[in-house]
Amino acid sequence: MASTPLFIMLASGEHEKIQLAAMIASVAAVSDRPVQVFVTMNAILAFRRGLSRQERYHGGHFHEQFMIKNVPDALELFEQGRMLGDLKMWACALVLDLEHLDHEKDLVEGLFDGAAGLAKFLADAEDGELITL
Amino acid sequence: MAERQTIDARGSFCPGPLMELIAALKLAQIGDEIEVLSSDKGSVTDVPAWVAKVGHAYVGTTEHDGYWAVVVRKAK
Repeated sequence: MASTPLFIMLASGEHEKIQLAAMIASVAAVSDRPVQVFVTMNAILAFRRGLSRQERYHGGHFHEQFMIKNVPDALELFEQGRMLGDLKMWACALVLDLEHLDHEKDLVEGLFDGAAGLAKFLADAEDGELITL
Repeated sequence: MAERQTIDARGSFCPGPLMELIAALKLAQIGDEIEVLSSDKGSVTDVPAWVAKVGHAYVGTTEHDGYWAVVVRKAK
């Protein structure tokens, strides 16, 4: 029996929330569950191209431990989920417009499938389970 | 002939050991066994649950001093 698709709306720019989204997305994807992630609001800022880990990640009680211990990097987890499973990532068209970002040039290379609107994501999510972080 | 490969994921936190195991399974042949060494206690429950979900074979777990050896056989 096919697994219920999982939809993750990632809005928070906190390292903890991004880390949790990456963990959920990657593990679900490698467990034969289709996953789509919609990155919006503050969260999009952490996906800008060319940032150091210090610039990219901040916030949350466990942030410092994530940085100094051998916890898998959130972006690498998303990449592994895409490589090993059915994981798609969408950048919110609204915040891209507001920040004058181009998902192909300004976001982490190879991570996003494209820019998308909220209505499309919500319509697709009616067929699955939606988590918001 | 089936082979056994050992992955040393000690020191890596969740879900690192599981992801390393999955990457190794992708490259293995059916019947091969992968032994993942993990100091992440969550791996003891995560790996068998993942194996049951996706249809590989869980061989067993051995506890050592400060880490676990979890063995999985590629079944498909």
